[in-house]
Amino acid sequence: MAAHPGRRPLGPRLRRHVWAWALFAIMIVIAVVMLYPFWYMADNAFRSPGQFDRQSGHSLAGWSELFANLPVASQMLNSTLVCAAAIAIILVVSTSSGFAFAKLRFRGSGTVFLLVVSALMVPLQSIIIPEYVNLAKLGLTNSYAGAVLVYAALGTPFATFLMATYYRGISDELIEAAIIDGLGYERTFLRIALPLSLPAIATVTVLQFIQIWDDLLVGLLFLPPGQRTITAGLATLSAGRTTSIPALMAGSLISAVPAIVVYLIFQRHLVKGLTLGMGR
Amino acid sequence: MIAAARSRSSRLAARRRRAGILLSLPAVALVVALLGVPIGQAVYYSMTIWNGITATWVGPSAYASTFTDPIFWRVLENNALLLLAVPFAIGIPLVIAALLNEHVRGWRFFRSVYFLPTAISWVVIGMFALRFFSATGVLNQVLAHFGLGPSATDMLAGETSALAALAITFVWSMIGTNTMIFLTGMATLDPTLIEAARVDGLSRWQIFFRVQLPLLTRFVQFAFVITVISAFSALFSLIFVMTGGGPGFGTTTLEFFVYQTGFQQVQFGTGALYGIILFVIMALVGLVQLRLIRPSDGEGW
Amino acid sequence: MAAATAAAALLAAGCGSGGSGPASGPVTITIWHNYGTEQNATALNNLAKAFHALHPGITVKVVSQDASNYFAQLQAAAISRNGPDLAVMWTGLFTLQYKSFLTNLKGEIPAADLARIDPTALKWTSDGFNAANGPYVIPLEDQFYIGFYNKADFAKAGVTSVPADWSQLFAACAKLRKAGFTPIVYGNGGQPLGATFYPWYDMSYMMIGAYSVKQWQGLYSGQIPWTSPAIRAQLSTWARLHSSGCTNPDVVTNTNNLGQFESGKAAMMIDGTWDTQKFTSALGGKVAAFVPPFSPTPIKGVVDFAGDGIAQMSYSQHPRQDAMFLEFMTTPEAARIINAAGLIPAIVGTSTSNPVNQQMLDFVSQDHMIPYPMLDNVVQGNVVNTGSKFLPSVLGGRVSVQAALSAMQTTLQQLPASQRGNTFP
Repeated sequence: MAAHPGRRPLGPRLRRHVWAWALFAIMIVIAVVMLYPFWYMADNAFRSPGQFDRQSGHSLAGWSELFANLPVASQMLNSTLVCAAAIAIILVVSTSSGFAFAKLRFRGSGTVFLLVVSALMVPLQSIIIPEYVNLAKLGLTNSYAGAVLVYAALGTPFATFLMATYYRGISDELIEAAIIDGLGYERTFLRIALPLSLPAIATVTVLQFIQIWDDLLVGLLFLPPGQRTITAGLATLSAGRTTSIPALMAGSLISAVPAIVVYLIFQRHLVKGLTLGMGR
Repeated sequence: MIAAARSRSSRLAARRRRAGILLSLPAVALVVALLGVPIGQAVYYSMTIWNGITATWVGPSAYASTFTDPIFWRVLENNALLLLAVPFAIGIPLVIAALLNEHVRGWRFFRSVYFLPTAISWVVIGMFALRFFSATGVLNQVLAHFGLGPSATDMLAGETSALAALAITFVWSMIGTNTMIFLTGMATLDPTLIEAARVDGLSRWQIFFRVQLPLLTRFVQFAFVITVISAFSALFSLIFVMTGGGPGFGTTTLEFFVYQTGFQQVQFGTGALYGIILFVIMALVGLVQLRLIRPSDGEGW
Repeated sequence: MAAATAAAALLAAGCGSGGSGPASGPVTITIWHNYGTEQNATALNNLAKAFHALHPGITVKVVSQDASNYFAQLQAAAISRNGPDLAVMWTGLFTLQYKSFLTNLKGEIPAADLARIDPTALKWTSDGFNAANGPYVIPLEDQFYIGFYNKADFAKAGVTSVPADWSQLFAACAKLRKAGFTPIVYGNGGQPLGATFYPWYDMSYMMIGAYSVKQWQGLYSGQIPWTSPAIRAQLSTWARLHSSGCTNPDVVTNTNNLGQFESGKAAMMIDGTWDTQKFTSALGGKVAAFVPPFSPTPIKGVVDFAGDGIAQMSYSQHPRQDAMFLEFMTTPEAARIINAAGLIPAIVGTSTSNPVNQQMLDFVSQDHMIPYPMLDNVVQGNVVNTGSKFLPSVLGGRVSVQAALSAMQTTLQQLPASQRGNTFP
């Protein structure tokens, strides 16, 4: 760009500063909008039902009621176990099949991929009763097994779609090079493609964790009361005609914590994956 | 020699096909057994009156009577209207992701903050929204604060406005997830391309629209699919708490209808019927968008 | 039909009789409920404890279930036959809808015990709503849809007598408005976790004002269509409550109606016995019950109905122990426990210690009000759901009476003929 002799060089830098501060202000506004319900939940978790009606005053009544009525710790543990098991299965089957559909095109793979992804469209409510009948007959509704399998099946189409999307971005030459080196397709997947897909794996993990953790119907129907998840447990707090809303808020607050923790953990891997870059 | 080369390449192709089948088999088996089979059963039961134990055959006339039910079409109308919110649920996160990608001071902090609401359960969001949109709620308080008092609303009391309130809440809830998807996508973009564009003198907006966006098509496609799926099959808890499907049938989407008939009224057969229709509609929408949004590398799925 | 049901029950009892030999080892029976954490849950838990004290060999495990999916879960458990032994069941049409996996208690429980239950209550849990057919459910409590009013507010506004018909109600409203109170407050507090107020309390009273108990059968069968002139007239008058300022303006979306009544800002509220204790704790002697006077002539009926109770699952492996628990529910000791939890026992001859609840019982026993069932328990579920969606907006003035009633009528006509017969199923 030609330099204008009379121009002071502060112009573009000032503009950049103003832009940066404006951006910062916008970010803050968005943050307020996003966080406000969170604050509402936390604020009302520390009230008694009477204080909630009046919207003034704070106490720990909600918390004591929550712990008096729900085995919170054990239900949180159940949720964690179910999530971990289901996500493990999802990651195993979706990374391998995502790679296969993206890079190892075989005859009919396009159609099969479309079928798997279209399973994403299956609304849970329409299959859950036949599913229940099937799994009950197989005796899988007396333990974690049934729920874990259903969650895994529900999450696989989404995860496969995401992994395949990601693997499409890996250059074909990289794969070819590994094959020429005599690695074989399976090992190419394990040694080359899989490590490159950590950001996608992190994304799948975080999103599926929230999906499974917050799911109500599967947990309610497929898990025996002793193995109930926290989300199903919180649902039992809302009775036919009276609900202690502060207890519900307190429980929801605790229930939200693991998802946030999972996100914060995997966020760093996301960053690592992002800075490593692709195909370098 | 040519024969040897050809047989080597065909051996490679065979190994490639075998690896492809082997690696994709677990996923396919899981999906077929636990999703495909129940869908088939649901198709069967949709033509019966079923309570889980006894099924009384009705036949395809069950579908015929649904398509002549005016309430069914009213419900579909709501789904169509809700689709109008999807572009917002994609556009706003795109912009936010682009802003975050500028790496303003503290962008990592904001990125986490924007994602946090995804961890809140629909019940809590619904209860908050109920109070937010009420006549004495935050929305009207904010309007009054900015001097717009006379335009105070009671959004959840009217059929269309309640659906609008639902749509707004839905868009809000998708911001966290979609922003993360687009940020992940933007991270896969080759930074040299963007550098080159900047050197060429393109403005920020031009870079966004002409360089980044086309490369993100795959991710936009993906976000579109999961946003539509969310809109059509993940909202029933929200609707239940926020509006109960009303006023009138104003916020009864097909998914809520499935839930009401299948679960509240325990009419599993009818619930399966509406569920099959919902599945078909979502599959159609998915197919349509696959045709409309084509990735820039020229190869569709 | 009664014979077939009895035969089926015998068959089911026979299938489940594997464990009904001499009570050798300790037995655990499971009860599911959808009561959440409030009074009914307290009552049930205390009943379980007291029963165990009487029969140390039998442990009762009380399991809380999600209320909004409760019946689907119960149905699913019946499918896989690994559900509870006993479960909370709503009465009226709900019982009949699910009776395929409920045990008919005639013969299971000695007639003498059954006789201790309020016969009106038992009627609504039997086939054809005839108690002679044997009940499926032992009611836990007697419930009322009822109005509550603030005596101090009435006195301050110069309302000297409790209104008994529409015109008196409008007159009282005018006085209350002038004194600065909200005459009747509506909102979604005190309701199932949901968005609007539940319109079926009001609807029940409007139908009380229009029809006799027997005539309500016509609402079920369609002989009295929902679009009848009498119903339209009642609803129009009801909607006038809002347009004439008798209610708060935001009836559909108000989230704080309970708070407003408890603080005395609102003078009247249409609610039920589940909130009596809340009101007496907050308002003490200032709160009293009244019969919502939604009638052109002095109202003469009150919704007095045992809305829920415990039923025995037909696939239970412990029918003898189940029957023992159900028998226990009819004893005076059970009545004491139920009353202590703030509920009205459904057992004949017992009274209740909460004075406002006692007032409601007096409406029937002393003022000779005719007990009506809860309308939403004797009308098809689909119609109830449609009504719940439209009726609040009728009061809110956004939906016309005609539109709401037509929607309900359409829903009724979409039902298969077997679900709107001339007799209750």
